[in-house]
Amino acid sequence: MKERMPNSSALMKQEFLKKWIKGLQIYSSFKKEMTIFERKKAIKLSADVAIASTRNASTHWSRALMSDVSTDDANHAAKIVVAQISGRKVEKYSSSKGLMMTCSNKILRRSRVASRCRRTRGVGTSVKARSIARKVVKNRTRVLKSLVPGGQEMDGVCLIKETLDYIASLRVQVDVMRHLAAAAERLDPPQRSIL
Amino acid sequence: MSSRRSSRSRQSGAARISDDQIADLVSKLQQLIPEIRNSRRRSDKVSASKVLQETCNYIRSLHREVDDLSDRLSELLDSTDSDSAQAAIIRSLLM
Repeated sequence: MKERMPNSSALMKQEFLKKWIKGLQIYSSFKKEMTIFERKKAIKLSADVAIASTRNASTHWSRALMSDVSTDDANHAAKIVVAQISGRKVEKYSSSKGLMMTCSNKILRRSRVASRCRRTRGVGTSVKARSIARKVVKNRTRVLKSLVPGGQEMDGVCLIKETLDYIASLRVQVDVMRHLAAAAERLDPPQRSIL
Repeated sequence: MSSRRSSRSRQSGAARISDDQIADLVSKLQQLIPEIRNSRRRSDKVSASKVLQETCNYIRSLHREVDDLSDRLSELLDSTDSDSAQAAIIRSLLM
């Protein structure tokens, strides 16, 4: 996995912004007049595709996201956006061609490392407490899998690596969107046109 | 940090993950999550379940923020005559 250097964050933001705008332009060319709701979906979807494409299909989550968008038959414009921005035809996401395929479920067992630390306080943790802790970790892992695109296909270390990358990308996305919204609000103080 | 498992990890064809790798990744995760980074006192005392919980919360809050920002932006970009203002903003952000 590519190590993310601090100074590449600015480059990523630029790349994201350009691709995001490109996506929005594609949408506008499809539909001149959009309702606020349609525009919101266009904005969000373009942003998601843009941030996923900055990973160049090198991560599971970005591939899964692109695939989800482009296999949504109801949304024709979205497919074009994905194709244009990623520069390639996006196949249905399947984990069988994964880069990080064989990850074991060791994260669940390794979580006992953490509970082992607690044992040094004197009283050993009971078997029951440990199994409860394992269940909690298992449930929470399941939730995490539902939050990360393509998470269901991931296991153990994959999941953590993908989560790290996904969170870092989400932060870039939020950062740029926040700045754009703030700047636009300053330039265009709320005088909303009546639809 | 002990690396006693690393020799074992090279034996099998599949990627055997060492303790160190996992600890390293978890610590990276801890550093990314503001909740944990700000509140933790001893670095190795955060449990896996807490890390997972805070990670999920953080991702959810990021998703919400993307959604809110999309709402705001869709309202802002609403009027068609703000084209020049948009262009100015975009240009200033790209330079």
